[in-house]
Amino acid sequence: MRLPKLPAVGIRAPRLPGANLRTLGPGSVSSLLKIALDVAYVLLALITGVLLLLWVASIFIPLDNLNVTVTDGDNGRQIPLTRPLLLFGVGAMTAYFGGFLMILRGLRKIFRTLTLGDPFQPDNVRRLRQIGLILAVVTGGVWLAQGLVAARLAPGVMEPQGVSDLLTPVFSILVVFVLAEVFREGARLRRESELTI
Amino acid sequence: MAIRVQLDRILAERRMSLTELADRVGVTVANLSILKTGKARAVRFTTLDALCRELDCQPGDLLAHEPGPGDVFDNDED
Repeated sequence: MRLPKLPAVGIRAPRLPGANLRTLGPGSVSSLLKIALDVAYVLLALITGVLLLLWVASIFIPLDNLNVTVTDGDNGRQIPLTRPLLLFGVGAMTAYFGGFLMILRGLRKIFRTLTLGDPFQPDNVRRLRQIGLILAVVTGGVWLAQGLVAARLAPGVMEPQGVSDLLTPVFSILVVFVLAEVFREGARLRRESELTI
Repeated sequence: MAIRVQLDRILAERRMSLTELADRVGVTVANLSILKTGKARAVRFTTLDALCRELDCQPGDLLAHEPGPGDVFDNDED
């Protein structure tokens, strides 16, 4: 049964100022974001490189009578800086920044395809899954490391990590994996379209 | 897939090259090659119409159903 057409009431949704912005292709928002990602990638690569050198150097540098302050804002506690502690601390930071460096590397490659206007590629599906995996490892590592520091190194100084702290990161990781599936479906449809003559 | 495109046979019968057919139909040689080699997943009615018009044949002359042993449950194949 056909319903009668309702008369227009003359109300239109307001046009957003950025509605005409191009999101894909050369000279678009994605190409601007790619430049920002390139700059962040170079900076993060430098930081990771310096940390890696520092980690190697921390194997050899003498650590006589050095202390480190573990603090959680208000109150701090000084503990002696041992070589395993130094290696753990610098190593954890290197791994943290290295993880984000790998994430940025994947994102840059994804944004390159966005800039070319062809994002639905099987490679992007693999890259998004890798990003999700690295994000999960980094998030889990940070959670474990913070829990370890709070429980072993500075009990009573730092708040122990709860499972609720993982909710937002886990949600973000799941969103990345869902996005990978969206891209997989997009790549499948693109392939289907290519093979439709 | 069990659907076979018999383009090469019809082209041989008509003594027509793939390039000539591509020019007449308005489809690239690469796409016609995909169709000829059986890699295509779907054919548009407009393409089928143009092919039948230029080759002076029916859709049934171009397409044949030849199921093999592995073609029963292969709907999701890539």
